[in-house]
Amino acid sequence: MKNNLKVERAIKNITQEELARQIGVTRQAINSIELNKYVPSTILALKLSAYFGKTVNEIFLLEEAD
Amino acid sequence: MKTQLLFPFRFKRIGWMLLIPSAILGFFVIFFNFQASFLDCQVFAAYSGATGWLSENKAGIIENNITDEIAAILFIIGALLVAFSKEKQEDEFIAKTRLESLVWAVYVNYAILALCILLFYNMGFLTVMIINMFTILIFFIIRFYYILYRNKKSLGHEK
Repeated sequence: MKNNLKVERAIKNITQEELARQIGVTRQAINSIELNKYVPSTILALKLSAYFGKTVNEIFLLEEAD
Repeated sequence: MKTQLLFPFRFKRIGWMLLIPSAILGFFVIFFNFQASFLDCQVFAAYSGATGWLSENKAGIIENNITDEIAAILFIIGALLVAFSKEKQEDEFIAKTRLESLVWAVYVNYAILALCILLFYNMGFLTVMIINMFTILIFFIIRFYYILYRNKKSLGHEK
């Protein structure tokens, strides 16, 4: 699974730290998602979607291998 | 997301305060046969036969030095609190790290035990078994905190 989290973050001009604080997770979680090392739960994906005002599908994308 | 079956964060400090002294005490008990003489007392034993299992029934009150019992119980309580107290900021990523570390610790623990089964005999193996009662928690704690530390370190100052 790929994601545009880093791009969305850049658009909003918000740091990993600040995003993590707003969503209520650790900065490691945000960092690992951006590095494609961690697939977030549906709950976290929905929270991110709500925060950025975009649908989950716009932020997270399936890859061939999935 | 609610994480079940974990102690509150504040128990972690209590855990370390129990784990460190009991680990030091346990070390001296195992390797130097340390026994504090004032801890000689009478205890109830469900079974205390010296030879084979149930070959001689010795249930009842027996004389025993409880230094090792105290060290073991305090270590177990301390290590459980350190291992399974929530982090200051607990989230699903930490939960995943915890679960992976637990699987890793079980594998490593039994790999080392299997090796020890082949290499240690008689009283040496008894010592291995005594230590093995605690290693699963020790391996877990080392691995879990190492991964958290490595993650934190790799964050750097990138935006």
